Amino acid sequence: MRKPKGKHDFSWKQAAGVTMMLALLFFALLPIIWSFILALRPENRLFEPIWESPTALTLGNIRNLAGTGFPHALFNSFVTATVSTILAVIIGVPGGFALAKGRSSRKFVASWALLLLRMAPPVGFVIPLFILYLNVGLLDTWVGLIGAYMVLTLPLVVWSSWTSLSQIPDELIEAALLDGATMAQALRRVVIPAARPGLVATAVLAFLLTWNDFFFALVITRSDTVTAPVAIMNFVSYASVDWGSIAIASILLTLPTVPVIVFANKYIVQSMGGAVKG
Amino acid sequence: MSQVMGVQPVLQRSYRMMLMPAVLAVLIFAVLPLLGMFVLAFTSFDLVKGWDTGFTLKNFVKLTDDKRFIASIWVMLSLSVFGVIAQVAAGTAIAVGLEKIIPRWRFLRGIFVVPFVVPHVAVALVWLSLFTPTLSPINAFFDLFGITVPALLTTRWGAISAIVIADTWASFPFVMLLILAALQGISSDLDEAASIDGASKIQVFWRITLPLLKPALLMVALFRFIETIKHFPLIYVMTNGGPGRATQATNYYAFIQTFQNSKVSYGASIAVFLFIFAAAISFWVARMNARISDA
Amino acid sequence: MKTQYARRLATAAMVSVTTLVPAYAADVDVLLFGMPYTKGLAALEADFEAETGLTANIEVVGQNVFENRITLSFTGKTGDIDVVHTPVIQVQRWVEAGWLQPVTDGVAGMNDKDDILAGPLDAYLVNGDYWALPFFAETGMMSYRKDVLEAAGFDAPPATWEEVLAFAKAAKSDDMAGFAMRAAPGQGFNMFVFPMIMRGYGGKFFADYPTDLTPAINSPETLEALNLYIELINEYGPAGGGNFNFSEIAAASQAGHLAMFVDGTSIVAQSLDPAKSQVLEHMAIAPVPAGPAGRSPTIAVHGLGVPADAPNPEASFKFIEWATSPETLTKIAIANAYPDFTRASVAADAEVLAKYEAINPDFLDLRVQMLNDAIGHYRPLLPQWPEIGASVGEHINAALNGLETPEEALEAAEAEMIEIMAE
Repeated sequence: MRKPKGKHDFSWKQAAGVTMMLALLFFALLPIIWSFILALRPENRLFEPIWESPTALTLGNIRNLAGTGFPHALFNSFVTATVSTILAVIIGVPGGFALAKGRSSRKFVASWALLLLRMAPPVGFVIPLFILYLNVGLLDTWVGLIGAYMVLTLPLVVWSSWTSLSQIPDELIEAALLDGATMAQALRRVVIPAARPGLVATAVLAFLLTWNDFFFALVITRSDTVTAPVAIMNFVSYASVDWGSIAIASILLTLPTVPVIVFANKYIVQSMGGAVKG
Repeated sequence: MSQVMGVQPVLQRSYRMMLMPAVLAVLIFAVLPLLGMFVLAFTSFDLVKGWDTGFTLKNFVKLTDDKRFIASIWVMLSLSVFGVIAQVAAGTAIAVGLEKIIPRWRFLRGIFVVPFVVPHVAVALVWLSLFTPTLSPINAFFDLFGITVPALLTTRWGAISAIVIADTWASFPFVMLLILAALQGISSDLDEAASIDGASKIQVFWRITLPLLKPALLMVALFRFIETIKHFPLIYVMTNGGPGRATQATNYYAFIQTFQNSKVSYGASIAVFLFIFAAAISFWVARMNARISDA
Repeated sequence: MKTQYARRLATAAMVSVTTLVPAYAADVDVLLFGMPYTKGLAALEADFEAETGLTANIEVVGQNVFENRITLSFTGKTGDIDVVHTPVIQVQRWVEAGWLQPVTDGVAGMNDKDDILAGPLDAYLVNGDYWALPFFAETGMMSYRKDVLEAAGFDAPPATWEEVLAFAKAAKSDDMAGFAMRAAPGQGFNMFVFPMIMRGYGGKFFADYPTDLTPAINSPETLEALNLYIELINEYGPAGGGNFNFSEIAAASQAGHLAMFVDGTSIVAQSLDPAKSQVLEHMAIAPVPAGPAGRSPTIAVHGLGVPADAPNPEASFKFIEWATSPETLTKIAIANAYPDFTRASVAADAEVLAKYEAINPDFLDLRVQMLNDAIGHYRPLLPQWPEIGASVGEHINAALNGLETPEEALEAAEAEMIEIMAE
C-alpha cells in the first residue's frame, strides 16, 4: 500500500510537484470560473476587468435565456442523447459480448472496422445521410438524430464492452447455462453484473459523445429537434455577440453531466484499467 | 475450457444472433452513408449545378494539384501532433501528481474530470473569449504590470497553439483517467523495492513507472490522435480557419468545399482521403491492441 | 411478460411516429438569421396573425447555422421553409441554382411600392424578375471620439484615408487604439469593409464589371489600399486587431478604448447606444473617408424571398408584404437598434426620427447620403461571389497578419479568382 503521510520531509522536489499541480489546477479551473463571471456580468461591463467592478453582477442573462428556444434545445439534447445511449447499450453490449466470447477468425477485422468507424470523418458521410433522411422523411426528427448518433456510439459501445466483457471467465457463463439459464438470462444475471464498472463507463462515454455532438445536429436537425450545442451558436448574431447568454447556455449544457462524470470517473478508471492491461 | 463442449455449437449460434442487431445498425447508419460518400467522390455533385452521376476521377486528379489541400494536411498534422503531445503530457502529469506526488490531493480528481464533459462548442466559445485581448482577463491581468500579452489568434502558430490549448483543456481528463487506470495496475511493490534499493522517487518514476506506462501512453496517444483529426467545432468557432488559412485542417477544408463552395463531390473526395488515412491508422491501432491483449 | 413487452414496443412506435411527422404547424415558416431586424420581427409574430389570420413561425438562427441549413434545405427541396432570409450577395447564386421563386407579380401588385428604396429593391432584380423584397439596407459610416480628435489638435474628422492615418497616429496611446476595422476573413467580414479603401484608391475586383469579368484585383491601386489597411490596423489598431470582427470593434468602442472606426451603420449605431457605451457623450459620426478615386461606402442589402419549393407562395408573399410594410418596419425601428430600414416613409415617422435624432442628430441624414454614394456592385453581384469573397478575404487577412506579403496575397487572390471564374 501507499506510504503513510509525513514519512518524507518536505523537500524542494515536493514543492516543485505541488507547484506543478497548482498550475495545472489553475489551467483546469480558469475557463470554468471565467464562464461563471461572463454569465453574471451585465453587458456593458463585459469589457472591464472583473476586479475593477467586482460587484457589478446581474441575473438578467439567465432571464433572457429563458425566453429563447434554448430550453427546448436542451430538452432535445437530453432526449436524443439518453435514448441513443440506451439503444446503443441494448444493441451494442450483446455484440461486444459475442465478440468477446464467440469464436471467430474475423475478430481482428471487427476491431479494425470498429476503430475505423470511430475515426471516419463525419463531413464525408453526413451528406449521404442527409440525402437518405430526405428520402425517408427522417430529417428534423428525434428518430433520425438518434439513428445518426448510432454511428458515434455503437462502435464505442461494442469496442469497450468487448474489452470489459472479455475479462469475465468463460466458466461463469457456462455454469449459468448448465444451470438451465437462457443466454439472455445468463447475460442479465451473470455477465452484466460482473462487468458493471466497464458497462457504466461505456454508457457514460457514449452519452457524452452524443451530448457533445455539433456536426450531425447542425446538418440533420431544424427548429423542432435542434440540440443545445447548435442552439448556442444562435447567440452569435450580426451586430453583437451575446457573451452572457453564451456563457449561461454553456454552463447549463455542462451542469447535468458534471455529477455523472464525478460519480462515474472511478468506473472509467476501472474499466480502462482493463483496456490497458488487456 | 470445457465440461460443456456440447453446448458450444448452440452457444456460437446465439453469439452470432447477438451480433446481428449491432451489425445491422452499423450497416444502415454508417456503412450505407459511407458508400454514399464514395459514390459522391467518384461523380460530380455541385449543390448549385446539380448532380452529374457519370463516373469520374476528376475530383481526385484535382486533389493532387490543390495547394490548399496539401497545406491543410500539414495543418491537420500540426494540430494533431502538438495537441496529442500537450494532452498526454498534461494528463500524465496530473495522473502521476494525484497518484504519486501528492496522494493527499486525490479528491481533486472529481474537479480535474469536469472539462471532459464540457461540449466542444462551449469549450471553443469560452476559450475564444479568453483569447480575445479586449475581453480576456488574462490580458487585463498582465496589463496591470504593463505586460502586453500577444494576441494569439492573429499569427499562424499562435492560432494553432490556441486550438491546441483549448483541445488540451477539453481532453487532458481522458488521458488522466486512462493513465490513472494504468498506474493503479502497476504494482506498488516495485516502487517500494526500488526505494529500498536507494533510488530516489524521481529515479523510480523515470526508470520504472514510465517504462511500465509505455503501452498505456501509446494507446491513449493513438486514441487522441484519432479524435484530433476530426477537429471541427474548435476551428469553426475559434478561428474560422484563419488567420488567412492557417488553421484550415483537412476535415475543415472538406467542410468548406462542401458547404461554403457547394462542391459536394470534391468535399467527398477529401473525405475519402481522410477515410483512407483513418483506415491506415486504425489498422495500426487494431494490430497493436491485438498484441497487447495477447501479451 | 410478453404482452407487457409488446405494449412497451407499441408505445415506443407511437412516440416515434409522432416525432416522425415534422410539426409544420404554422401557415408560414420563416427562417432568418440573427440581426436586430430579424429579432424584432420574431417578436411581432402575433401581429401577423392578427392582421392576416395566418400563423407564422419565425425562426432566427446564427448566421453560420443558417448558411448550412439553407443550402441543404434548398438542395433537398424539403419544402419546409416558406420565407427565407435572402442577402443580395447570395441572390445571384440562388437564382442560378433555381432555389428561389420570383416575387415579381407580387411586387407589381403592391400599391405602395414606390415607398421602397429603389437601390435596395433593384438589387433583387435578376434576369428581369424580382426575387425578394428588402428589409435591410446597411451602408458604411465612421464613428469617432470628439474629445480624442480635439486633444490631438484636429478640428474636423478625417475626410480622406490619408487623414485617417494621421489621426490614428496622433490618437494612439497605451489604452487607446487609433483605428479599427473588420479583419476576420470572410466575404461578409473583412470583404464587407476592405473594398471601401480599395475602391477609394481605384482598385476593383474585375476589369469592367459586368461587361468584362477578367479578375483585376492584383493592381497597384489595390496594393496601395491594402498597405494602408495593414498599416492602420497593425500600427494603430487594438491588440489582436488582426482578428477583429464587428463585435470586438463595437465592444472596444463602447468600452472607450477606440478613437475611430469605419464599419456598417448597425455597428456604428452600437457605438452610440446609451445602454452600452461608457463614453456616449464623446461619440460622433462622419462620412466614410474618401480616397484619390473618391468615396465608396459599403453596402449590404438583405431581404425576404420565397424558396422554389415553398408550397404556398401566396401566403409566403403575404408574409413578406407584412414584414416589409412601413408599419412593421417602423415598429422594429422604434423597438430595436434598426436604422437600416428600406422604406422612405419610416424615416418620416416622428417617433423614429425622435429616437435616432436623440442618438445623433445627423445619423439618418448621413445614412441616406452614404446610401446614395454607394454603388450596387460594391461587392460584385455574381453567383461566384460567395466563393470569391471567401477566398480573397482569406488572402487579405493573411497579408494583414504577415502570413503572406501584400504582393503575394493579391497575386494569389487573383489567381484563385481566375480559377473560380473558369469553372
